[in-house]
Amino acid sequence: MLPEVLRTFYVSCWQRGWGSEESPACSRASLGEMSAWTMGARGLDKRGSFFKLIDTIASEIGELKREMVQTDVSLENGLEPSETYSMVRHKDGGYPEDKDGKTCPRDSGYDSLSNRLSILDRLLHTHPIWLQLSLSEEEAAEVLQAQPPGIFLVRKSSKMQKKVLSLRLPCEFGAPLKEFTIKESTYTFSLEGSGISFADLFRLIAFYCISRDVLPFTLKLPYAISTAKTESQLEELAQLGLNFWSSSADNKPPNSPPPHRPLSSAGICPASLRQLCLINGVHSIKTRTPSELECSQTNGALCFINPLFLKVHSQDLSTGPKRPSTRTPNANGTERPRSPPPRPPPPAINSLHTSPGLSRTEPQTSMPETVHHSKHGNVALLGTKPTPIPPPRLKKQASFLEAESSAKTLTACRPGRSPPEPELELEVEMGTAGHAGGAPPRDAPGDCTRAPPPDSESQPPPCHGARQRLSDMSLSTSSSDSLEFDRSMPLYGYEADTTSSLEDYEGESDQETMAPPIKSKKKRNSSFVLPKLVKSQLRKMSGVFSSFMTPEKRMVRRIAELSRDKCTYFGCLVQDYVSFLKENKECHVSSTDMLQTIRQFMTQVKNYLSQSSELDPPIESLIPEDQIDVVLEKAMHKCILKPLKGHVEAMLKDFHTADGSWKQLKENLQLVRQRNPQELGVFAPTPDLMELEKIKLKFMTMQKMYSPEKKVMLLLRVCKLIYTVMENNSGRMYGADDFLPVLTYVIAQCDMLELDTEIEYMMELLDPSLLHGEGGYYLTSAYGALSLIKNFQEEQAARLLSSEARDTLRQWHKRRTTNRTIPSVDDFQNYLRVAFQEVNSGCTGKTLLVRPYITTEDVCQLCAEKFKVEDPEEYSLFLFVDETWQQLAEDTYPQKIKAELHSRPQPHIFHFVYKRIKSDPYGVIFQNGDDLTPS
Amino acid sequence: MMAIRELKVCLLGDTGVGKSSIVCRFVQDHFDHNISPTIGASFMTKTVPCGNELHKFLIWDTAGQERFHSLAPMYYRGSAAAVIVYDITKQDSFHTLKKWVKELKEHGPENIVMAIAGNKCDLSDIREVPLKDAKEYAESIGALVVETSAKNAINIEELFQGISRQIPPLDPHENGNSGGIKLGNQSLQAGRRCC
Repeated sequence: MLPEVLRTFYVSCWQRGWGSEESPACSRASLGEMSAWTMGARGLDKRGSFFKLIDTIASEIGELKREMVQTDVSLENGLEPSETYSMVRHKDGGYPEDKDGKTCPRDSGYDSLSNRLSILDRLLHTHPIWLQLSLSEEEAAEVLQAQPPGIFLVRKSSKMQKKVLSLRLPCEFGAPLKEFTIKESTYTFSLEGSGISFADLFRLIAFYCISRDVLPFTLKLPYAISTAKTESQLEELAQLGLNFWSSSADNKPPNSPPPHRPLSSAGICPASLRQLCLINGVHSIKTRTPSELECSQTNGALCFINPLFLKVHSQDLSTGPKRPSTRTPNANGTERPRSPPPRPPPPAINSLHTSPGLSRTEPQTSMPETVHHSKHGNVALLGTKPTPIPPPRLKKQASFLEAESSAKTLTACRPGRSPPEPELELEVEMGTAGHAGGAPPRDAPGDCTRAPPPDSESQPPPCHGARQRLSDMSLSTSSSDSLEFDRSMPLYGYEADTTSSLEDYEGESDQETMAPPIKSKKKRNSSFVLPKLVKSQLRKMSGVFSSFMTPEKRMVRRIAELSRDKCTYFGCLVQDYVSFLKENKECHVSSTDMLQTIRQFMTQVKNYLSQSSELDPPIESLIPEDQIDVVLEKAMHKCILKPLKGHVEAMLKDFHTADGSWKQLKENLQLVRQRNPQELGVFAPTPDLMELEKIKLKFMTMQKMYSPEKKVMLLLRVCKLIYTVMENNSGRMYGADDFLPVLTYVIAQCDMLELDTEIEYMMELLDPSLLHGEGGYYLTSAYGALSLIKNFQEEQAARLLSSEARDTLRQWHKRRTTNRTIPSVDDFQNYLRVAFQEVNSGCTGKTLLVRPYITTEDVCQLCAEKFKVEDPEEYSLFLFVDETWQQLAEDTYPQKIKAELHSRPQPHIFHFVYKRIKSDPYGVIFQNGDDLTPS
Repeated sequence: MMAIRELKVCLLGDTGVGKSSIVCRFVQDHFDHNISPTIGASFMTKTVPCGNELHKFLIWDTAGQERFHSLAPMYYRGSAAAVIVYDITKQDSFHTLKKWVKELKEHGPENIVMAIAGNKCDLSDIREVPLKDAKEYAESIGALVVETSAKNAINIEELFQGISRQIPPLDPHENGNSGGIKLGNQSLQAGRRCC
């Protein structure tokens, strides 16, 4: 049972043209399978690793299932399975030394995969050759002049400040080359004038290698690139960079199509294996066939195809072009009988190298798939022993594929078929393949290498069945896809642009990112057994949505991976910094100091990344230019802030506890909460308890985020909620005059000390470019509100004695003078202690004997006598309280003021000071106050 | 394709002079539904063409009450321009305006473009601040001045156009937008139209 599962899985991978493509896991899985067979034959000593492999497979299946959507169309050509099989077989039989030599089984797997390089792969590996952003127009012309028509370069036009595709034209076009502008929107790359957009530059170029769309003809890869057999060959070529064009490596194709070299030539080259290991990490971004891209939503690739285009081209394409791929083997005289083509093959005229695009049949799968077909063809024809697949297995395989496809996208068209029970079973098995792995895979090698020829007769029916089904599917998918594009694309495109940044937050939370990967995998596995119809519909929806995030997410993930790799300079930089910070708690003197150095580090690393070559392929080829900084910033959050979050939080708390500011804040929060809203200047509706709870919840969520941007997003949601409450359907617009007091009130009511550090974290770490925007504004307001709370007492004292205080005192005086008849003067009010301050002589104090209702004017007179002042008109009596100076008006009563100050609940230290009115502020030294200026 | 320049503009002035009304009027007239609306009126954005650039105003409203005065530096920090609003029917608000100008001169960003808006010019019968005073004062500090009415949409666009013109273009080789002369015309014309 198990081997069958594996086999099925392997084949499906194979056919989908993943392996080296979408996920390295896939290739790993297929490797695992191969090694499983090998080991099954050799003995059980490697059981352990075998089980591990099974585990890997089990966990990756979910991922794969998610990834596959549309690719089943490849099955439409009934040949595929058998070809694949023959290839597998070939590998197994062809390199027995692998097994014996106990070489790394992975290597052999990769090796086999490297034979099926897609155009996308070729482009990815050789971008140093054709992606020449710094090349001038003249230089580009010089390079291309020597090239045959169809050869291209991508460079950046300094005139337009845009990337352009420079294409060599044939002589009959008049000009030697033409440039096509590449448009970059926020999410996509496209050629100007074309309705087809791509997630990145590689996919764009790959597409135009197959379909001309707005071009005069399809792009062509240089001969050396299109004929390279291994990734290492491509890497070698790529090493040449721009020199490729002038080197001998850039050989021209012979007049006749090059002979197909036997597979072994591409065989096991240790160098290539090493290369593969090296670039393995890159696979995760690099790898996706445009066919997956263009028509699937779930895989996240982002590609919008004009539905019109699909229709038109499906007519064009569905008639002839498919043959070449099935035909190629035939032309070479092998394999043909093994897999009868569904349609009569046309004459084999097609050269793989000149126009791979022609080999396309399915309208909605795009070219890379095609290339795979051709390659499969190659591979298959290279297989030495034409062994058909045993029918039962094939059947399983087909049904499995069907199950997958129906689970993925095609649920809608299923009713026409009987419900495939065995598939369900199969899926469950795969989901739990972990324990299924216990079954010894003994029969596997036999299955693989010695498939009985008689079975070949029974092969056509299953193939046919699969084909039929899949053609149904392709029909239905194409329609549903175009529908979906119709509906979803403008919608999401619009929303992404028009809704406020808040919407971005939906569905993308920090926590999700922080969740351990295992969890999500589990989820995926379990989804296998859930009702597929529901699942697939849901997934379709979310796929449409998430596809807009994906290129960016993928880049972020890639950078995060790089940051953990200490073999790279970037990885070292990040890892060293993170561990340094964690180990050296004393290296920062304050919270601000700490956060600022972190911010600085992030900015520097960003600059480094955008210029270094460690990101391969270059970020410009994957992310539209105006988004590069955004993506880098996100990546910084993930690789620097995420690992530091706990540490930074703890440090911030320590700092604020140590300097007593939290204690102070706590007291003030308490104080402010006791005030009624009007006292805080609130004159608009305020949130009720329930709404406050909601707000609190949002603040609590905020604490869980490590990304300052996401924290700000939550702050915006809080502010939006406050506005909603304030406006209360009145339609009135509230400006800052009303909003800030309400925000202060809300923050006080929430009573969360942590908000202080949250706001500090955002203020210091937010990308500076965002500080001027909406997030920056409300962050500033929240900071302002919090500082008002922190200074609440001081504010009161200041208010008493600042400019308003004069009025207050005067009014108080008026009130009191009208009530003069009421005697309430204590004995001690017969005395007034006054300090005398002179610039040169410092301070002297004297206690004056005064009447209770003595006016300031009279006190001044008394002082002038006592302190022997020669120019009394230059002097006046001041009240110094809470570090503030207030000149007392002549008609106020110092004794009354004193009584008032004494009667306050909290005792205030205050002094009456007789001093020069226009004194040099720095000459005014009262006790230890050296920064006192008269207000 | 024109380059978009983001310009931070802060709004200063006493509470109740109509700071946010001016911005709401500016942003919501000819409202472009393709531009994402902001969550509230304290912060609003609007993009206007200017020469061969697009100016995206990021308008920061401040709370005018005395108690929030100390927060103002956080708001005007990094501003390309400040719109200082007074109420032509309240002499006090004109005093406050002078305080703001003084503070900006001392602590504000260098080369900040200052625009004085005498709001509520629809209420000129109960005017307390003569236009002449405002103009003389504006001239003495090198600021732009217009009387506006957010209520009747008078001179609102012109106020921001004036600011746009005084923002130096990014490319020093581009000429034409030296600002001075045009601006003078602008403010005069604006004044005339208003009264």
